[in-house]
Amino acid sequence: MAKVLEGPGMGLMKKWGITVPHYVVVTSVDELTKLGQANEWLKKSKLVVKAHEALGSRFKLGLVKVGLDLKEAEAATKEMIGRQVGSITVSQVIVSEMIPHKEEYYCAVKSTREGTDLLVANCGGIEVESNWDRVKRLAVEVGQQPSVEAIERLAKDAGFTGPLLKKMAEFAGKMFICFDSEDAQYLEVNPVVLREHDSELIALDAVTLLDGDAKFRHPDWNFAFAAEFGRAYSKHEMEVMAVDSKIKGSVKFIEIPGGDTAMLPAGGGASVYYSDAVVARGGKLANYAEYSGDPPDWAVEVLTDKVCSLPGIKNIIVGGAIANFTDVKKTFGGIINGFRKAKSEGKLKDVKIWVRRGGPREKEGLDAMRALKDEGFDINVFDRNTPLTDIVDKALQK
Amino acid sequence: MSILANKDTYVVIQGGVAGVNAARRMAEFCYLIKRSLNVLAFVYPPDAGKTHEIPYGSGLVAVPIYKSVAEATKNHPQINTSLVYIGADRAMKGGMEALDDSHIKVVSMITEGVPEKDAKILGRHATKLGKVFNGPSSIGIVSAGSCRLGVIGGAFDNLVLSKLYREGSFGVITKSGGLSNEIIWICSQFADGITTAIGIGGDTYPGTDYVSYLDMFENDPQTKAVVIVGEMGGDLEEKAAEWYGAKKRRTKLIAVVSGFCQESLPKGMKFGHAGAKEGLKGEGSARSKSDALKKSGAIVPATFGALGPAIKEAYQELLKSGQVKEPVEPVMLPKLPKTIEEAMKADEVMVAPLIRTTISDDRGDEPCYDGYPASELINKGYQIPHVVGLLWDKRLISQQEAEIIKRIMMLSADHGPCVSGALGTIIAACAGIGMSQSVAAGLIMIGPRFGGAVTDAGRFFKYAVDNKMTVDDFLAYMKKNHGPVPGIGHRVKSLRNPDKRVKELVGYVKSLNIKTPCLDFALEVEKITSVKKDNLILNVDGTMAAVLVDIGFPVDSLNGFFILSRTIGLIGHWVDQKRQDSRLIRLFDYLVNYAAPKRREVPPLK
Repeated sequence: MAKVLEGPGMGLMKKWGITVPHYVVVTSVDELTKLGQANEWLKKSKLVVKAHEALGSRFKLGLVKVGLDLKEAEAATKEMIGRQVGSITVSQVIVSEMIPHKEEYYCAVKSTREGTDLLVANCGGIEVESNWDRVKRLAVEVGQQPSVEAIERLAKDAGFTGPLLKKMAEFAGKMFICFDSEDAQYLEVNPVVLREHDSELIALDAVTLLDGDAKFRHPDWNFAFAAEFGRAYSKHEMEVMAVDSKIKGSVKFIEIPGGDTAMLPAGGGASVYYSDAVVARGGKLANYAEYSGDPPDWAVEVLTDKVCSLPGIKNIIVGGAIANFTDVKKTFGGIINGFRKAKSEGKLKDVKIWVRRGGPREKEGLDAMRALKDEGFDINVFDRNTPLTDIVDKALQK
Repeated sequence: MSILANKDTYVVIQGGVAGVNAARRMAEFCYLIKRSLNVLAFVYPPDAGKTHEIPYGSGLVAVPIYKSVAEATKNHPQINTSLVYIGADRAMKGGMEALDDSHIKVVSMITEGVPEKDAKILGRHATKLGKVFNGPSSIGIVSAGSCRLGVIGGAFDNLVLSKLYREGSFGVITKSGGLSNEIIWICSQFADGITTAIGIGGDTYPGTDYVSYLDMFENDPQTKAVVIVGEMGGDLEEKAAEWYGAKKRRTKLIAVVSGFCQESLPKGMKFGHAGAKEGLKGEGSARSKSDALKKSGAIVPATFGALGPAIKEAYQELLKSGQVKEPVEPVMLPKLPKTIEEAMKADEVMVAPLIRTTISDDRGDEPCYDGYPASELINKGYQIPHVVGLLWDKRLISQQEAEIIKRIMMLSADHGPCVSGALGTIIAACAGIGMSQSVAAGLIMIGPRFGGAVTDAGRFFKYAVDNKMTVDDFLAYMKKNHGPVPGIGHRVKSLRNPDKRVKELVGYVKSLNIKTPCLDFALEVEKITSVKKDNLILNVDGTMAAVLVDIGFPVDSLNGFFILSRTIGLIGHWVDQKRQDSRLIRLFDYLVNYAAPKRREVPPLK
């Protein structure tokens, strides 16, 4: 699942005929000033300025300003750009026109196992969250398109009447086509508003989640996906992502500040069981990591380097199930190189390493790990006869 | 018994390298359970018409490659299963092709990163046709004792350790490929092993869910219990709980779910498989899944660590109730033949080497010349002549000797385009021949009349010196036994038109104040022969030969100095012609003396 920021999200909606407010994404005040000279609407409309970053609670942070004229918008832009919020530096703002309206509605499309759900409500904004029963659903089977009649029935169910019913049905129909054509996994417009002067339905705010795996058939997805957890990726995370995108197999790394138990397990499934075991034992995770699919040893070495660089760690869990085809000796070779490098840089002082693994060439790999003891590492190595997560129990024993 | 895969399962593999690797693993399993290879065909259009050789025991099985699934099933009508190893961007087309083939009942997709929409369409299509679409991102399916689809089960040793050579009583369904082996292993250690284990893939919407497989297991009398390894995200575990709780089931259900750590992590932080994500309203959490499963009557160990004991308990109950009996292990299991390398490492075989070398070794991280690492030679200031010394005469020559060799090489690197060697190369180059062949054409010219007299010259001068012959004796000996003295005489050079190269080399060597018995003797020979005939001078071959023998090089290596040096020139001539894009050349007829008989009539054939 790949989150897309408002700008590109609105761009995709516009592409499929959904009316969105005028907007520009800028990285400097100068850029906005120049755009103001070229675009009539920036001079005439009341404007909204928002930080264009993957940040939650922008309102609270003062990163959304409404009802501005161009001068005020420039001032707001100047104030926001370069602001540091946690690990994120605001580098872009989105400036859009305010749409005068009275009524707010809701429309969303989401993926389900059976196909796609089209959701419509005749209330919007925060109202919809407290009135979830007013959201009506049309389930569309995999590979099918909803008929105009079906969507109109949905709008009717949701309480739309008269000319607005047809307009809402048309809006929802476009949302479905956008969702289906753009390999989206979730599209939400809240609120959909009725523009006062021409009674047109406008998508005022968009949440867009796309299927990152489908990027190969969307050459116009020229935007970067945003981090999904309300903060920007760190330098080390991005370095591991860069490696991940280049290799066969995968390496994954997410930092969790404040933890003391570092994770370096194998496998998308096992890694979560290891994390669960740490939490169940009262430990504090310092990161999430995972390598799988027989990645090259150098990629595992890069991952190891990042794990060893986590501040304040006491234990490293080098766990893993019995591999199908990941070569234990080779991947452990990468980890061992990473450990040696970290040690030579003065890291891993008072850090205990816990290893458990099975799979192709397990004996050679585990023997190589055991040999690290002779080099002065505080390392404990277990084979398949020790249950998967027992090393976590041992590591976190008081 | 088992589900999905059994003794009658025959497979086509769609895809390239990854599919071939899977076939090798599958062949190991077939060998273990003594059935013939169940992979009958590959579909990979670029290599259609060829075969892949799959090791089976100590032999190889040739498996044909076809351009389409239809072609494969037409030639092998027993095929009923397809494994898809095609890249994510073409996986859907491949999956559809397999599903639409009437022979194929099960399609398992191994490809990772398949768009969600494509996976859903494939799943729906299979349901409509009454077939099974497993995956994407599936590690495979294995039925103990009868069939392996994909790499699930791991290396051969693991197959044996996990007792996959015979049936047990536990079914396994897991999203995680990496954990599938772990569960199979646990079932074999805490109970009697598995019937069938299925990797359904960790995507959000796997083509077939737990419930479909639970139904199949329920209908398989051999399966007495099913182990589910779930994870947060989606609602497949909830659906499984619903199924299990709906009515009394014959099979026991044991389930673990991962993702509890999510509760104590910053909100929205997601990891694990693509499908491992909480819904927008908190549905699909590990907690809600685990609660639902518990409520349905399933056995839900609190942690992964408690899974083994839970399986053991279930097994003991089955034993007690008489539903299962302790399995009888086979006395003998086939051992996977070792490769020569493995057997040698284990000191089990001795191999008589085919060749023997005494000069270099390439087995480390860099070549060693006569034991010395190349980089160390470079870093300690040694030069190319020293490498020549190491590889040709197995000794580290002195700086002085290296200087002599360097000068010999510089003097004989080239001698213009007219000499036989260069001309040969140039003619070839102009005919559009490549470098190695053109240079070889030039090198072929090196022989008794051109450049190739160094070895013989050295041999005879050395013979004379070793036997303390006088020049007269030597010349008489040569005349009687061998003919003209190699290294003496030149086509164009003479006493009055001396060869500057010879003068240069002799002058330098003489200036060094080293002992040069061969060179001294050769110069004495020249004094006599050049009196007899003006051009019977010591030529460059002879000079080189005498000097090289004097500094200790073995006679058999001597021609090498000319070949090595002149190769520099020949490469130069080839590049030169290439750079000029020279045209094909042929000899003008006025340069030929046509001494053949005049045109005449051919007599009738008798």
